Amino acid sequence: MTITRSLVSVVDDDESVRESLPDLLREFGYAARTFSSAEEFLGSDCVDQTRCLMLDIGMPGMTGPDLQRELKLRGQQIPIVFITAHKDEAIRTRVLEEGAVECLFKPFSDTAVLEALNTALQVN
Amino acid sequence: MDFQHEAPVDEIKRLRRCLNDLVSVLALPAMWSGREPAQIIDRLLDSLLGMLQLDLVYVRVNNPAIEVARVAPSQDRMPRPEQLCQAIKQWCGPDPQKWPPLLRTSLGDRDISMVPSRIGLHAEIGVIVAGTARADFPIQTELLLLSVAANEAGIALQGARLLSEQKRVASELDRRVAQRTSELAQANEALHLQAALLQKVPVAAWTVNPDGTPAFVNQSWLEYTGQTLEFVQSSPEAWMTGIHPEDREEAARRFWDGIHTGQGFTMEVRFRRLHDGEYRWHLNRAVPLRDEEGKVLRFVGTCTDIEDVKRSQENWKRAQEELRNTQAELAHMTRVMTMGELTASIAHEINQPLSGIITNASTCLRMLAADPPNVDGARETARRTIRDGNRASDVITRLRALFSKKDASTESVDLNEATREVIALSSSKLQKNKVILGLELADDLPFVTGDRVQLQQVILNLLVNAFDAMSTVDGRPRKLLIKTEQDEGDRVRLTMKDTGVGFDPETAGRLFDAFYTTKDDGMGVGLSVSRSIIESHHGRLWAAQNDGPGATFAFSVPRGPTAATSADSIRAMQNPQWTEGA
Repeated sequence: MTITRSLVSVVDDDESVRESLPDLLREFGYAARTFSSAEEFLGSDCVDQTRCLMLDIGMPGMTGPDLQRELKLRGQQIPIVFITAHKDEAIRTRVLEEGAVECLFKPFSDTAVLEALNTALQVN
Repeated sequence: MDFQHEAPVDEIKRLRRCLNDLVSVLALPAMWSGREPAQIIDRLLDSLLGMLQLDLVYVRVNNPAIEVARVAPSQDRMPRPEQLCQAIKQWCGPDPQKWPPLLRTSLGDRDISMVPSRIGLHAEIGVIVAGTARADFPIQTELLLLSVAANEAGIALQGARLLSEQKRVASELDRRVAQRTSELAQANEALHLQAALLQKVPVAAWTVNPDGTPAFVNQSWLEYTGQTLEFVQSSPEAWMTGIHPEDREEAARRFWDGIHTGQGFTMEVRFRRLHDGEYRWHLNRAVPLRDEEGKVLRFVGTCTDIEDVKRSQENWKRAQEELRNTQAELAHMTRVMTMGELTASIAHEINQPLSGIITNASTCLRMLAADPPNVDGARETARRTIRDGNRASDVITRLRALFSKKDASTESVDLNEATREVIALSSSKLQKNKVILGLELADDLPFVTGDRVQLQQVILNLLVNAFDAMSTVDGRPRKLLIKTEQDEGDRVRLTMKDTGVGFDPETAGRLFDAFYTTKDDGMGVGLSVSRSIIESHHGRLWAAQNDGPGATFAFSVPRGPTAATSADSIRAMQNPQWTEGA
């Protein structure tokens, strides 16, 4: 049996996030894969292996919440940590009600990310 | 009657009597002269009754229609004249050919002999019927007398008819003359009135001969200038002495040009007013009056005081200047307003690179704290931190440039780059509104000359409007297409096409009005200011409905004088200003 790092998938159309998060996640001991859109993620072979999804809320085409709904429909129980630059409490409340583990507002600290991941994987 | 049996003496007596009677008959016309037909007939009846000792006499005239029968006074047992007329008419009908030359009948208690005599050759004028109880009626002399009387009567009646016709014609002529005279009198009066009006009309009116010599000036002119008619007519340029010295040369030039070309003229000159010596602006215009062949008969002109109008014009110019200043203020306000709309997006724009900085920096520390430290990784994160820092700085610079108050400046502007910057600033709004952006920016788009900031403002305004138009759209994708291209006539065009709610063709005309808005919280200054900006760049901004849903807004501005195009800026971008350091 091989021990592989747990996979965290990052879905965000923002380049800065896709560049910076994976390294941080790897420092935390995870494996990381990035996708620039929800469609790209769904079309990849990572869906089943993703232990946690770090998901941007506002994206052109399929949004974060859209993906959340879609995964539910597919019966995919992936814990989701939302990340967004748009500070809107109403949206945060909504996505949490829909079952998200956490919703972080950019810019977020590295410890906030760690706590959210711990919560996500403990839930599982 | 048988004259052969008559004694010579009796014959002479009879003939003498006949001659007397003839003379009497021939004297009748003198009596009838100038009389009406009715009177002629009356005399005729009386004469015949007496002359021929008739018991009755009947006259019928066709024109005028008169029918009279008279009975000798001694006869009182005769039928009444009306009955006689009827009976005789039956006997002497319309056709003279059918008349018997002699008829013996009984009327009353007597036997009467009646003889018709034609008036006119075919009885066309009328008929005389003479009747008597005398057995030997008519003898030849009596027939002769009757026939002569009938002729005379015919002539007289014709004459009377002619006379009456002449009278009728004369009276008709009189009537027409009277009417014509009255018409002329009226026309004359009207002419006088017009002439008076021309004198009184509160505009100086004048006429000039084809050679430029003055023909007429009205009262208004003379009163204003104080010139006299004789003075004006003394020489073609006499009237110009009333013009302000500075305007005289130009006035003379225009005047003579207009006269010689036959086209008339228009000039604005200052004329001196008599009562206070003030010079006032006047519009002096002349038009040619031509005959059927096109030759000039006269020049007719007016001279209107426009001093007040001209003063208003100057006020108008000043007002326009103030308006331009206000527009600049308004434009600034629009930027501020739009900034308000983008406040959230601005924070968003900054937060992205900031987030990157924090994540990268955190990672950097962790990498350095590892055992052994991951120096390569740390270096990479540090580099990314710097780059994100620069990104944040760029955003702030762009925003500051866009929203700072600046007077319009002129430079070479690459619309593609300007558009990309605006899009970069609004990228979060694009995301938030789930807008699918399509960019078709022409590679070799020529630069335009103008104010970069103002043009970006227009692009931003159109962008925000497109977002808003699509914000309520659900059932279809929100697509925004931004296209730049060369336009005909050395122009550059930017088109923005959305799939939003579009606009009503009825309100299309008001889209660009200041303060027109369809947004609940809109202030509606965007499009009208945008249009002003484009127009001040000698361009055109317009809107059109799409074939499908949504609207297309576009502007077209002239290209700059240089040959530089977008392709040049791309080349510049590909040689980065900073290098990635080790």
